[in-house]
Amino acid sequence: MATLLEKIREYRRPGYFERYDYRWTMAIDLDRCTGCEACVVACQAENNLPIVGEKNYAMAREIKWIRIERYWVGEYPNAKLNFLPMLCQHCDQAPCETACPVSATYHNQDGLNTQIYNRCIGTRTCAVYCPYEVRYFNWFSYEWDEPLEQQLNPDVTIREKGVMEKCTFCIQRIRDAKDAAKDDGRRQVRDGEVTPACVQACPTEAMVFGDLYDESSKVYQMYRNPQRGYRVLEELNTSPSIIYLRRANGDDERSDV
Amino acid sequence: MAKVSRRDFLKYVGAGGAGAGAGILIGESREQPVEYLMPLVEPPPGYIPGVATYYNTLCTQCSAGCGITVRIREGRAKKIEGNPLHPVSQGRTCALGQAGLNALYNPDRIRQPLRRMGDRGSAAYEEVSWDEALAELGERLGGLVAENRGEEIALLTGTVRGHLHDLLERFAGELGSQSYLQYDFTTPENLYAANEICFGTDRLPYYDIHNTDYLLSFGADIAGTWISPVHHSLGLGQMRQGRPGSRGHFVYVEPRMNLTAASADEWIPAAPGIEGLFALALAHVIFDGGQARVSDPYNWSDVLRAYSPGQVAERIGVDAERITTIAAGLASAKAALVVGGGAAASGTNGVANMVAINALNYLLGNLGRRGGLLLNPAPVLPAPEKRHRAGFRRMREFAGQAQAGGVDTLITFNTNPVFNLPPGSGFHEALAGVPFVVSLSSFLDETTAMADLVLPVSTYLEVWGDESPEPGVGVQIASLSQPVVETDFTSARAAGDVVLALAKNIGGGVASAMPFDNFEDFLKAGWQTIYERDHPGATSSDFGAFWKDAARSGVWLRTTDSIESEPVFLAAALEKLRFAEPEFGGDGPYVLQPYLSQGLWDGRGANLPWMQELPDPMTSVVYTTWIELNPATAEDLGLREGDVVRVRSPSGEFEAPVVPFNGIRPDVVGVPIGQGHEHYGRYAQGRGVNPLRIVGEKSDSHSGTHAWGATRVALEKTGRRVHVIKTGGTSRDLGRNILGRKEIQFLGE
Repeated sequence: MATLLEKIREYRRPGYFERYDYRWTMAIDLDRCTGCEACVVACQAENNLPIVGEKNYAMAREIKWIRIERYWVGEYPNAKLNFLPMLCQHCDQAPCETACPVSATYHNQDGLNTQIYNRCIGTRTCAVYCPYEVRYFNWFSYEWDEPLEQQLNPDVTIREKGVMEKCTFCIQRIRDAKDAAKDDGRRQVRDGEVTPACVQACPTEAMVFGDLYDESSKVYQMYRNPQRGYRVLEELNTSPSIIYLRRANGDDERSDV
Repeated sequence: MAKVSRRDFLKYVGAGGAGAGAGILIGESREQPVEYLMPLVEPPPGYIPGVATYYNTLCTQCSAGCGITVRIREGRAKKIEGNPLHPVSQGRTCALGQAGLNALYNPDRIRQPLRRMGDRGSAAYEEVSWDEALAELGERLGGLVAENRGEEIALLTGTVRGHLHDLLERFAGELGSQSYLQYDFTTPENLYAANEICFGTDRLPYYDIHNTDYLLSFGADIAGTWISPVHHSLGLGQMRQGRPGSRGHFVYVEPRMNLTAASADEWIPAAPGIEGLFALALAHVIFDGGQARVSDPYNWSDVLRAYSPGQVAERIGVDAERITTIAAGLASAKAALVVGGGAAASGTNGVANMVAINALNYLLGNLGRRGGLLLNPAPVLPAPEKRHRAGFRRMREFAGQAQAGGVDTLITFNTNPVFNLPPGSGFHEALAGVPFVVSLSSFLDETTAMADLVLPVSTYLEVWGDESPEPGVGVQIASLSQPVVETDFTSARAAGDVVLALAKNIGGGVASAMPFDNFEDFLKAGWQTIYERDHPGATSSDFGAFWKDAARSGVWLRTTDSIESEPVFLAAALEKLRFAEPEFGGDGPYVLQPYLSQGLWDGRGANLPWMQELPDPMTSVVYTTWIELNPATAEDLGLREGDVVRVRSPSGEFEAPVVPFNGIRPDVVGVPIGQGHEHYGRYAQGRGVNPLRIVGEKSDSHSGTHAWGATRVALEKTGRRVHVIKTGGTSRDLGRNILGRKEIQFLGE
């Protein structure tokens, strides 16, 4: 136990991750996002998210690792609706990680906030601590009506009752890309070789994924957007790995922002 | 997970292994399925456990024609992704496209041919063998042909393009049938009609949204459900943030806010049905200001005289000043584009509205210009023409013909007019009176439930096929679709194979006109003809290499010439260029606006569980139908979210819960189309209501297209309340910096 606590303390020291190879980051341009929800279904397909049924949906037990949030501004006829894709922010200072009594959730060396399903005992503390509400609990072991189970992705575990789950930045795809790079004799994955399912599907190309340490990467360029870049609930000091570019408005209508 | 025994598991693996060999990676044609148990020590060719194979094929969930890539592991389809080589989708997909896997592995797929046992529509069937079913149908069709009653055979399909269309047309022709019709609720009939009037073309143009600087949309839900959403979304993203130094401005006009309107810079809730008037007012300002970029002898000032903003602003429901501002924005933009469709084309004046929008594009000089409206070249592959597209008028004629006893045998394929046509169309009675109805379908939908004989057909992921997308992307392309898996739980066959087998059974001239064993051969022969026409002197091994290549990439770019000809605005269109007042059926205080829902589309997606669980983009409601009311209207009526109201029109009534919605005019009631299925499987059945049931039979005065947005309704309280299932969370940011509105400092860190 002492070792575990030491490890936790160590990885929460700022700068810890900078010693490692990658810092996976996502940029979401809200000026491109149309709220079409292609990402939501792409994620469901890739990550074996269950079909929970109407009754569970009514009790807010749905599981959607990425969802579209809606925020209204103003009233009719000047009402505006803003869409915000919300997924695990993979915070560098993640509140959920300190909360878990069994260390089922931890920060891996690529800067991902990961969940160890086998270790999870289902206290749901992490879901309470998460300010983004992106952790989902399996109230049941869900089943797929035969033959829908033939679609299930063999690269992703099927979670059982009593386990918390969340976005993994499609860690299976990251692993694949790393393996391919290694087979290729390269130490590093190149920009664009890893695309999570949501990023891949996005029809407006609003989402970009990549390594923030790679200064030539597309995500780095977007991350350094001084006019529009922001992080959601950043005042909580969670240091999210997802940067949003806010919707452009009148002032920056015609400019390059 | 379903429990499987070890024996079953081996069987699945064996069958799946055969599926893995189905694609083109290993050769030109499919391997025969393995029909005995064998260990994986000797795997099928191209099968490596743990290694995914990707096949390029074609999505037909909607009629946009996106190229897709399907990921296969151990003979099972795991994931649908966009085909990066395909110019329509460019590696991207939409929600409905992703859910194609739910259709492929749907538990409610028809597994065996069915013969009707009970009453029509009761869906009581007994299973029969394929031989029996094909023999019965072949005998019936053969008998009719022999008696020279071929014209009493009718073929009714959904949107079918490419060589399957060619095959069906030949089949209908050989039988002597005069009715080979394609009915698809989402076909933009009025847009076709308007383009014919204005440009003399029977094809949809290419809207160059990518390069436009000022986009004005009248009811065209370009990012959601309108003709080619993935391609248009790509354009929208590019227009907004893809061009350093310029960001296109986007104005959206519709009584109801949809996701495209929410993404626009301005949403203008103009009165329903006045889009043409709005466009003419803009044209008036532009022409009056001398900003029209045309030099023609047409008398525009006469035509536009009556449409000054001062005269019409009140009717439109928008300030005259705002109209002038928009006109100035359009006229001063380097490239401007006006698109129209959807709600703007769903009234009795749909064609007139679309003509006015075309004229506005013409005056702005947008025709044939980068960032404007380009004409598509002729499709490479066989494509349905005007005579095949059965709009509302043609369907009513057909219903009349059937009611008069003119139809003996009706064959339907992948279409559901029973669900999508209003009761006033007469189709439902007509169908009930047709002596023999055959349905080729993967699912037991409402139309199939009326059939005497049901032949299960494979989904689009299991068949060969091809098409040239409509609308095209400005270049000549042909997309190829190939089977990516074989399924072991249904005996379904490809529709093309069924037609060829039927032709054989009928024999005589019909059989000898279509001497192909399977549809794959037919398709290949068709492509070879086109290839040889393009490449005189090519050998068959050249074609073999070309075919392999086409199957690998899933698309053949025939030429890279972008524009064949510039659209010419015809003088005759000027005569049609006047605002027609929209007419509405019924006399209730509210206009009913049914709309295609993002996941369920026109109802076709309702059997896909992922789509049922997909929150509505605007209201986040799932699993049911709801009624959108402006909050002010709801308050006036004393209604809160979940209050069940009765919506009444002269054609009928339905009940559904209210959801107050900030994005709709106070005099309009929005209801999504898609739910309310009586049949169509466990996920769709008995959920919500179908608003098209109470829509009147008004139609467009020019094209005869169903005016499904031209019904007035009254609302009545029922006193009941239900819990409307929505995804949680507050709908306001409540001062939190969620949308990034405040100045952010952290990036300087």
